[in-house]
Amino acid sequence: MKEQEILIIRNLSFGYEKRREILSDVNLSLKEGEILGILGASGIGKSSLLRIISGLEVPKEGEILFEGRLLNKNNLIIPPNKRGVGLVVQEKALFPHLTVLENVKFGIKGSKSKKHDQATYFLRLLKAEKFKNSMPNKLSGGEQQRVAIARALAPQPKLILLDEPFSSLDMNLRVELRLETKELLKRTNTACIIVSHDLDDVSSFCDKAARLENGQLKEIST
Amino acid sequence: MGMLSFSQLFWRLVTSAFFLFFIVPVIFVLTSLFADFNDNWNHLINFVLTGYVLNSFYLIVGVSFLSLIFGVGTAWLVTRYDFIGKDWQEWALILPLAVPPYILAYTFTSLFDTYGSANEIIRFIFSTSDDYTFFPNVRNLYGAILVFSSTLYPYVYLTARVSFINQSRTLIESGKLLGLDDKSVFFRLALPMARPAIVAGLALVVMETLSDFGAVEHFSVQTFTIGIYRTWFGMYDLNTAMQLSSLLLIFVAIFLIIERLERNKSSYSYAGSTFKPIKRIKLVGWKSYLAFIFCFTPLFLGFLLPIIEILNWAINYTSENFFSNNFLSSFFNTVFLGLLAGIICTTFAFLFNFIKRFEKGFFLKSISFILSLGYAIPGLVLAVGIIQFFSILDNNFIRSYFEFILTGSIFGLLLAYVIKAYALANNSIESGFRRIDRTVDDVSLSLGTSKLKIFFKIHFPLMKTSILTSLILVISEIIKELPATLILRPFNFDTLAVTTYIYAAEERMFEAATPAMMIVLIGLIPIFFLSRIIRESRPGSR
Amino acid sequence: MLKIKKIFISLAVLSSLNYAFAEEVNIYTSRHYDSDTKLYQDFTDQTGIKVNIISAKGKALIERLKSEGKNSPADVFITVDAGNLWKVQNYGLFRSIDSDKVNLIVPKKYRGENNEWIALAKRARVIFFNKDKYTFEDLKYLSYEALDSEQWKGKLAIRSSNNLYNQSLVASLIARYGEAYTENWARGLVKNFARKPQGNDRAQIIAVANNEADLAIANSYYLGLMLSGKKGEKQLSAGKKVKILFPSQNKNGAHINISGAGILKSSKNYNNAVKFLEFMLSEGAQKHLVENTYEYPVNLKVKPSVLISQFGISFKEDDIEVSNFGKYNSDALKLMDRVGWQ
Repeated sequence: MKEQEILIIRNLSFGYEKRREILSDVNLSLKEGEILGILGASGIGKSSLLRIISGLEVPKEGEILFEGRLLNKNNLIIPPNKRGVGLVVQEKALFPHLTVLENVKFGIKGSKSKKHDQATYFLRLLKAEKFKNSMPNKLSGGEQQRVAIARALAPQPKLILLDEPFSSLDMNLRVELRLETKELLKRTNTACIIVSHDLDDVSSFCDKAARLENGQLKEIST
Repeated sequence: MGMLSFSQLFWRLVTSAFFLFFIVPVIFVLTSLFADFNDNWNHLINFVLTGYVLNSFYLIVGVSFLSLIFGVGTAWLVTRYDFIGKDWQEWALILPLAVPPYILAYTFTSLFDTYGSANEIIRFIFSTSDDYTFFPNVRNLYGAILVFSSTLYPYVYLTARVSFINQSRTLIESGKLLGLDDKSVFFRLALPMARPAIVAGLALVVMETLSDFGAVEHFSVQTFTIGIYRTWFGMYDLNTAMQLSSLLLIFVAIFLIIERLERNKSSYSYAGSTFKPIKRIKLVGWKSYLAFIFCFTPLFLGFLLPIIEILNWAINYTSENFFSNNFLSSFFNTVFLGLLAGIICTTFAFLFNFIKRFEKGFFLKSISFILSLGYAIPGLVLAVGIIQFFSILDNNFIRSYFEFILTGSIFGLLLAYVIKAYALANNSIESGFRRIDRTVDDVSLSLGTSKLKIFFKIHFPLMKTSILTSLILVISEIIKELPATLILRPFNFDTLAVTTYIYAAEERMFEAATPAMMIVLIGLIPIFFLSRIIRESRPGSR
Repeated sequence: MLKIKKIFISLAVLSSLNYAFAEEVNIYTSRHYDSDTKLYQDFTDQTGIKVNIISAKGKALIERLKSEGKNSPADVFITVDAGNLWKVQNYGLFRSIDSDKVNLIVPKKYRGENNEWIALAKRARVIFFNKDKYTFEDLKYLSYEALDSEQWKGKLAIRSSNNLYNQSLVASLIARYGEAYTENWARGLVKNFARKPQGNDRAQIIAVANNEADLAIANSYYLGLMLSGKKGEKQLSAGKKVKILFPSQNKNGAHINISGAGILKSSKNYNNAVKFLEFMLSEGAQKHLVENTYEYPVNLKVKPSVLISQFGISFKEDDIEVSNFGKYNSDALKLMDRVGWQ
C-alpha cells in the first residue's frame, strides 16, 4: 500500500509573520492516480498549500515526500523546476508570445518530434487541437483553460495541481471540462489535487475530499 | 456639411503650410535619386563607398550587441533582484542620456589618449616611464562602439525595464513549474516576451548612431555620415551628397519601420485575467556585489566618467574668462533658439491634436503620422535637404520680393530643429489631450461654446504640465544637436554644441568644459523628471 | 500667435540686415585669430571706415558667396588657403584689385591672375623633428618627395586628408609631377604613418615632442604659437622639444601657402575695400600679424617674429603658382582617398 503513495505531507505549517498560521499541522497522502479535492472558502489558504507543494513557497515546518523523495526539510528545498509537479491556475497564465502548440510543448523534454507529437496528443485529448497555431489572446476563456491543462499534463508529471481551474467558466463549460479532465487524468494515471470553493467541482471530480478550515485539513466524505 | 468658416480655412492653411515645410526638404533629398549620378560616383564606389558602408555596419552591429548587454542585463537585474545599490541605480541608469555621444567621445580621448589624464594617473601611481601607456587607443571603431553603447543603452534599458515589470509573476512561475531554472526563465521566457520592447529601444539606438557626426569624426571612423560630409565639403559635390543622403535615409527608414511595428506590439499583452507583480529575489554576498558592478559599469562609462573629466577640464582652465564671451553668446543663442523651436513645436502639436479631437479622417491621421517621424532623420540629411529647398525658394521667389534670402538665415536651423523635435512635443501634447475626457468637449459644445473657446478656456489650462514637458523635451533634445547646426547656422551664431565641437576639434579641451557641462546640465532636467516616473513605476510603490 | 509672427519677421530682417552706416566695409573671413580684431579696430581708427565681420569656415563662406551672387553684401573675402581663393576666382566672383600700392608690395607670384586676389601673409608647411633624436645635419636635405621611403616607416605624423592644407600640399605635387607619381608617393607616405591620422596640426607636433612619431608635417606658425606660451604650459614645453626643418632645400623649396584676400564683384564699397587691403599690407598691420600669428609677412620691409625666425628666414620657397592648389584640389582629394589616407 505504502509503495503506491506518491505524495505524503506531514505536519505542514505555513503563515506570514505576525499573522495567524494559514496552514497548521496539515497532513495528507495521495496514491498514484488518485484525485483529491480540497474545499474551502476563498482566501483561506488553499492556494498556499498548492504553492508549497509545487515549491513556489517555503513552509515553516513539516515535510513533503513526493515519489519517495524529500522535497523539503527545514532549510533544504528542491526548486520548483526540479519537482516534476504540474500546476494549472485560475488565470491560465499562457505565454502570450507563443502559439498554443508552442505553449504546450514548453515543458516537454526530448527530441523535436517527440515534443510535437506529445503536445499534439494532449491538445487533441482536450479538444483543443484545432487552434494549435493560434495565439493565446485570440482564444476564449474556456479554450485557454483547455490549453493550460494540456500544457501542464503534456510533460507527463506524476502529480498535477489545479487551483480553481474552472471558476471563471460558465456552467455548461464547467461540467464539460470537468468530465474531460477527469477522464484524461484517469487515462494517464496522473494524481491530482484540485482546490475549489465550489462543492460540485470537488464532488463530481474527486476520489476523496477534504476541507481546509482554520488552517486545518479535515477529510470529508464525498 | 456646409462651407468652411474663415477661421477653419485659415487654420487648415496654416497647418498645411507647416506640413509642407516639414516634408519638402526630405522629398528634395529623395528626389535626388532620380537625377544624374555624376563622375564622383565612380570614385566613391571604387574606393570609399564600401568602407563607409562596412564601417557603419560594423558600428551598428557592435553598438547593438553592447547596448543589449548593458540595457537588457541591467533592466533584468533591477526588476528581478535586490542587491547593493539597486535602489538608486534603478533610476541612475538613465543618466547617460544627458551626455550626447560626441561629448563622451571628447572625454574619452582626453582620458585615454597616450598623454591623456587616465594614462597620466597610471603613470603617477605606478611610477612608470614617461611613455608607458596602459589604456588602449580609443580613436577607432571599438572606441566608437563603446561610446555609443555607453550613452545610448538607456533607450533599451527603459523599454526593457517596463516590459519586465509588466510580466506577471504567474507567467514566470508557470515557466518554473514547466522545468525552467533561473537562467532559462530569462532566456526562454522573460526575454522573448520583452522582445518587441527591446527591439523598439534598440532601433532608437541604431538610428541615433547612424545620425551621429561629432563622435565618429573625432575617432576617425569613416561612417556613411562622414562620407556624406566629405563628399559635400571635400568634393564640393552637393548633388552626390544628396544622393548618398537618400540612401542613408532609406536605411534609417528600415529601422524606423522596425521600431514602429515592434512598438505597437509593445510586449505582448498578457493573455490572462489578473496581474501579479514579481517578487524580487534578494542577492547576497558576492552575487550582490557582482550585480552592483554590472549595473555600475555602464553608468560609470556613460555618465560619471565624462562628468569627472569635464570637471577636470574646468579645474585646469586657468584662462581669464571662464565665462568667456564666446560661451555666453552661445549659451543665449542655444536657449533662445531652443525656446523658439519649442514654442513652434508645441503650438503646432496643440493645433494638430486639437483638430484631431474633433475630426477624424485618413488625411489628418497620415499627416500626423508623418510629422511624428521627423526625429529619425539624421541631422546631416536634414541640412542637405533644407539648403537645397531654401536655395530653390530663394532663387525663384524670395529674392525677387524680399530684402533677404533664406539661405544662411536662422530659418534653416529653426526648421531643422522643428522637424527633429516635433515628435517629442507631439507625444507630450497628445498624452495630455488623452487625459481630458472627450465628454467634456461634448458638453461644452452643447452649451454653445465655440471650439476656439474650448481650446483656450478648457484645454489650455488643463494642459499646463504637458506644455511644460513638451518645451523641456524639445529644448534638451535640440541643445545636443550638432551636424545640422554646424551647417545651417547663420554666421557668428554658435550654439553650445557648436562651441564644444570647435574647441574639441582644435584639441582645446579645457575650454570645452563650460559649454559641455552646460549641455549635460540642461539635458539632466528631463532626465530628472523621467527618473521620478521610474521611481513611481516600481511595482508596489503606490 | 501674431506676436510670434512679428518676432519671426524682425529676426529675419536682423539676421541679414545691411547696416546703413556712413562708411563701411563688409568682410567675410575664415581667419579665426582673435588678434585680428585689433587690426580691424586700428583700421577704423585710422580711416573712420567701420569694419563688419562675418567669420566662418572657408568652404561655408564660399558656398554662401556663390549662392548670394550679385546680392552679396560682402566686399572683401579673406581666407587661409590659396585653394579657396582660386575657387572663388573660378566662380567669377572677384574683381580686379586696382592699386599701385598693393602691386608694389605684393610680388607677382603672390597675386592671382588679373590681380583678382593677393596674399596677406605666408606660411610654410614644414617638417618638425625632436631635437633630442635628430640634429639639423641629419635631416638638412630631407624633401617631401623622400618621405615615402621605407626608412620612415611608422615614423610620420600628419593630420587627416580632410584638411585643406594637406590637400594643397598634394595638389602642388600633382601640379609639378602629375598624378601617377604623386599617387605612388602618397601610397608610400601612408605606409609610413605612425598612427591613423587624428587631431590637428598641433597634435602632430606634440606627437613628435612625445616621441610618438619622429617627423610631423604641420604649418610653421604653430611652433611660434606654442613657444609664445599663450597656449599654456603643456604646449610651451612641447614646443621647446622640437625644431623646424624646411624641406626640399636643395630641390624645389618649402611648400608655401598664403592667407589672402580678394574683393568681390558684388562689392558696393570698392574703394573702402581697396583701402582695407592696402592697410593690411602696411608695415604696421603686417608687424601686428607676424607678432601675433607667427606667419611670414608679405611686406618685405617687415621681419617675422623672433620666435619663428630663429628657425631660419631665408629658406628656399617653392615657386609654384599657388593657384594650382585650387585647380588640383579635387584631384588631390580623390587621390588621397585612393591611397587610403583617411
